[in-house]
Formats: sequence, structure tokens, C-alpha cells
Amino acid sequence: MKKTLIKCLLLVVLFQIEVVAEEKNYHKELITDWSRIFPDKNRNAAGPKFFKYIIDKENTYKDFIEYNKLFCAVSGSLIDPNSDSEFLFVKESKSNSKICGNYYRCCVPCSCDVMKYSEVQKMKYKFTDGLKEFYVITIKNPCNKTDFPNRVNKNYFCNGKKINSNQVYNLDNRIVIGLLHNGRLCKKDDINLVKSHQITGQYCELRNNTPLEKLDAGMGDIFIKLAR
Amino acid sequence: METELGKSKILLQKMLIKKVNYLKKILIISFLILPINNSSAEFFRDLSNIIEFNETRLSYGVSVTDINMDGNYEFIVTGFGYPNLALTYIDGKLKNIAQDEIFIDQFRKTIGVAACDIDKDGYEEIYFLNTDTYSGTKKYSDRLIDKKDNYYFDLFEIEKNKESLNLTAGRSVVCVDRKGTGEYGIYVANYGGPTRFYEFENFKIIDKAGYLNLGNVTGGRAVVSGHILTDRADIFAANERGANFLLKNNNGNFEDVAFDYRVDDVIQNGRGTALSDIYYRGRLDILSGNWLGYHRAYVLENNKFKDIGNKDFDKPSRIRTIISADFDNDGFDEVFMNNIAEPNKLFKITEKGKFEEIKLKTALETEGFGTGAAVADIDNDGILELLVSRGESKAQSLTLYKAKVEKQSKFLRIKPINKFGAPARGATVTLISNKRKHSKTIDAGSGYLCQMEPVAHYGIRKNEKDFRVEVKWTNGKIDFMDKIKLNQTITIKQK
Repeated sequence: MKKTLIKCLLLVVLFQIEVVAEEKNYHKELITDWSRIFPDKNRNAAGPKFFKYIIDKENTYKDFIEYNKLFCAVSGSLIDPNSDSEFLFVKESKSNSKICGNYYRCCVPCSCDVMKYSEVQKMKYKFTDGLKEFYVITIKNPCNKTDFPNRVNKNYFCNGKKINSNQVYNLDNRIVIGLLHNGRLCKKDDINLVKSHQITGQYCELRNNTPLEKLDAGMGDIFIKLAR
Repeated sequence: METELGKSKILLQKMLIKKVNYLKKILIISFLILPINNSSAEFFRDLSNIIEFNETRLSYGVSVTDINMDGNYEFIVTGFGYPNLALTYIDGKLKNIAQDEIFIDQFRKTIGVAACDIDKDGYEEIYFLNTDTYSGTKKYSDRLIDKKDNYYFDLFEIEKNKESLNLTAGRSVVCVDRKGTGEYGIYVANYGGPTRFYEFENFKIIDKAGYLNLGNVTGGRAVVSGHILTDRADIFAANERGANFLLKNNNGNFEDVAFDYRVDDVIQNGRGTALSDIYYRGRLDILSGNWLGYHRAYVLENNKFKDIGNKDFDKPSRIRTIISADFDNDGFDEVFMNNIAEPNKLFKITEKGKFEEIKLKTALETEGFGTGAAVADIDNDGILELLVSRGESKAQSLTLYKAKVEKQSKFLRIKPINKFGAPARGATVTLISNKRKHSKTIDAGSGYLCQMEPVAHYGIRKNEKDFRVEVKWTNGKIDFMDKIKLNQTITIKQK
């Protein structure tokens, strides 16, 4: 009886501690540090800057996941907390397999652009609570491009013809633009689900077959010019 | 056998009593560690009925100054296409004593207001910021009201001052004694046009913003001035669609250090702002509300401001004015958040800068379109009154509140007067006792359109003693006062 009561008491105390402890506000932190992430205030297609800023922090794996839900890898804009993700697939660079997962985006066209113009790669990283493996969304090195989009700050991405590893995360000579949440090898049902979805199916089919000069939604040609 | 049974019974009873006592203890301990809910059903009393002829109107900024120099303060309430009011306390009522056309100015749309002595005559001129357009060029200029021989006049209507008219939409105004000489300048936070900084020089109003490197174009919203970083009047301007400014005073010139001090908050839209000693440590930190964004409680640590607002405090809202004041005279400041078309909020700042929400019923104003608010002890009873102005999307009357205070509560009010006999706006008063070192600013304006009474009002804590008061003037010099008696307003004059 005495032991049970002590256990109850301990539970109450632990509950109280949890109530009192302030939860981390990831969104607020990104807002606070926005001018540090984008010193020139240009966040066009600068999802990679967010990713680099986040991975350079002292994070637990949970922190890392939560931060990566709050920016759009394609546009570089912040996403409202509690926004829904899109279930989609992206080709894995190494195996050419389709990797399914959740992508947090600021607008519908960004999901299509990720599916068409980016790839995913497995990445291992040691967080404060241990080594983890996950899928990251990457684009090829854009620094050799003659048509590098002029609305994007090239210095963020490139150091001459090389990727600027001080500013963005370089994984096997590709730039990491964001995280594919819950990434895994697609099953047949997953692919059917993505293809039959109103956005990732019908809409993306239309968008991804529209000539670049006729695109008028999302980040339009900026990200595509950077990533294609 | 019976005896044996009896013994067992007694033993069982004893065991039961022991267990019940044990359970009792557990229950008491559990109860004690349950979250303490500081909610108070009725923190405020509604005194709106003492406002005479309190009609529905579009009101905005409120300032507190003594317009008739009778030693008592008036609430100056601006009207947007409605008369500007000067509410004074007479015979238990708040009565409007504004009569002069130039002051009432019904046909201009006034939103911001601040008062200070710009011409060193001891009388606080009143700057009325008019805005008939959201942004950019406006039709009607601002007014700078002075008084001579019981006659009000607009300094901007004098021919030589017309070249300095502000014809840009704006929001807030703050008085800044940048040189520490008692000669106030007026910083006008314009919207979509250059900031203005007016000074009275050789009997002429001159815009010195360009000269002082203050003429930036931004979405100016709130602006406050006081001892934020230096011993002179620094400025913090909370802006919209652009970074905030933290203007460090360097011998009367300003340098924007908002980025270095991490208060630039570039993608949020600033509104209500107040200087407050959040840690009760004898320095002024910054409360900065953001429109539908995270509200900030910035405290200076290692040459950077750190936001310590908790999730209750920082929760995004349609924030307008923010006031930091001790309404209930318990020695801890409350923070009143005036929201528009959304319930108001009240927090108590307890020790170590913790914000505890006080659940409001009175002054909640769920249906209220709050546009401004100011505090003053308008009836001189040692308890602050809170006047809330409302309007913008819907004509509404003014509301007036006063906290319910404990009968034995005590107060101390410090009123610093500068060497010209005017309220020393921008000076810092610090109360030092066995319990705290608590600084308050003598409000220079305009934590979003409004300006508070030029008095440092302190409630007194339980078992508090050994009081000492320090006044840091706008020139950085400090005067001390001890052997202080409570329950009075002490006027301290600059030497």
C-alpha cells in the first residue's frame, strides 16, 4: 500500500514537472533567427539555407524533425505550424527506386516540383541523442549553370563552381534542400495512392507537363531553373 | 475469546486510522503541488459609468498630461473623424474639458498622441498625429498644440514652421530628450514615408531626421524611448514589413543596433511596445507585441536581448497597446494586452520574469475593438485607472477600469520634474528595497499610439521595507532619496 502511494505521488510530481516545463517553440525560433539565416533578406528557393541552419544547431532527432516541418524546401518560405504534409514519392539517387514519404510545403505546386526536379538520398547524422538515418531531398550542384536564376542569391549556394558548404549542406556533391519525412521504399499501394491523389496525381501531371515559360504558380521557374 | 476479538478490532481500527492519516497527507501534498491557477474572477472593476457623455465613437491613441496646469492629469483621447477629448476627474466623474476648435479638431483623423515640453517652458505641448490614409502621402498634416494665455494654437500653422509639415501617414509618436538637456524632440513613426524627428530650435520647428540618420522609410508602428542601452534616451521602434530599429544614443546621435542585439524581428509586424523591468533587477527591458505574431519579452543578457515570453504570453493575437503597470498595488507589475476584435489579456510578472495569466472577466471586452489604452491615477487615490479607447471598425464608447486592491495595500508614486518644470519623460525611476530593485520609465510615448502618465507608480509588496528611490535623468545623472514614507506621490525636481 505504502509503495503504491509513493508511486502515485511520484507520478503526480512527474506530471507536474511536465506541465511546468516549457515546450520548445520551433516556429518562433525560426522566426527569431530569420535575419541570421537570410542576412540579405532573400529567401528565394533558399530551403537549403534553412536545412543547413537547422542541422548546425545542437539538436535531438526530434528537434531536427520538428524544425524540418516548418519551411518549404522549394520556396524557402516558412510554413505555419500544424500544417498538413503531402504524401508523395521522389526518386532515390543511388537506386533509382521510388521513396515515399511526407513533404511539408507552402503551396501545392511545390509538391510537384519536388517530385520532378529533386531526388532523395540516405543521410546519417549524429544528433545529441544518437546516430540516425533518414532521407533528405537534394538537387544537383547548380553552380556550373549559365542560366542560374538571378532572383536566387548564388553566394548562398556556390563558391565558384563548387557547392558552398559553409552556407548549404553538401551531400555527395548535391545540395540538401530539406527532409523527406517518414521516408521509406514505396509499396505498390503507396504509388497508386500518390498517383490517384488530386494534387500529386492529376494536378502534378498537368503542372509537370507544362512548359516552363507558361508556369505561373508557386515559385515557378525560380526553383526549377535552379534544380533542373 | 471476546478479549482477543476486541484486541483485533482495536488493532484494525488503529491500522485504519493510520492509513487514513497517511492518505490525508498524500492528498494534501498532491493538492499543494497541483498547478497554481492565479486566475482571478474579477481583477478589475468597471468604472465606465463615470465617463460623462460617453458616446460611441472612433477613438485611437490616448495620452496623459496636465493640459490646464492645475496639477492633475487629463486623459487626452484622440478621435478619428471625432473630437479629440481631454477627460479630467471632477466630482467623481470624468468630464471632457476640451473646448477649443484647434484641439478638438473633429474633421482631421487623429490616431497617435504624445505630450512633452519641446520649448522648455514647463508646459507639455501635445503632438497629434493625423492619418487619413493607410500609407504614404496624406491630406492633412499633424498638429503640435501649444498653449498661451489660455489659448490653444498649432505650432505647425505658424508660417515659418509650414515647411516642416508631416504629410506622410504615420502611427506613433515619442518624445526624445536626445541630448539630455531637457529639450525634447519628437520622433514620428511614419508609414510608407521617412521618419520625422522634430526639434524646436530658434523658435522654429525643424525636422532633423535626415541629419540624425533617422529618416528611414518603413512601416512605422510603435516607438518608445528611455534608458534601454545607454545613460541617454535610446529609441526602440517596432515596425511592420521591415526590421525593428533599436537606436542607440551616442552623444545625441543614433546608431541602429537592432540586428546586433537580436530585436530586429524582421518578419513580424510590430505593435504594442512598452519598457518594463521584467526581472525586477533595476533596468528597463522591452515588451514588444506583434500583430498576429509572437509577442516578445526581451531581456538583455550578455549584450543580446533574449525573448523569455512563455507560451501563454507570446501567443499571437490582434494586439494593439501593451501596458506594463502595477494595477493592484501588490508590488508586481501586470502586463495589459489590448487586443482588437479579440479578448484582452492580463499577465502578472512574478519573480524571475515569469508571466502568469490572470483570467479576466471585467475588461475582457470580447466584442471590443480596442485601439488604445493608457493608465493614470486620475482620481489621486493611489490606484491606477485604465482607460481603453475603441473604434476603428466599429464606433464604440470608452471604457474605464480599476483593479480591486487589498484594503491594507500601500503605494508610492514618484513624479520626476526636469529643470524646466516639465515631466521628465524618458527618465528612469528605480525603487530599491529589501525585496527588489525595480525600474520604471517615465513614459515618453508611444507603445502604440498612446502615452502613460509621467509618474512611476509602485504598489508595495508584503513585508517590504528599507525603501530608497533613485532617479536617472535623461542626461544620465542620478539623484537618490531615502527615508521614504509610503502612500504618497513624491515630486522630485532635477537640480
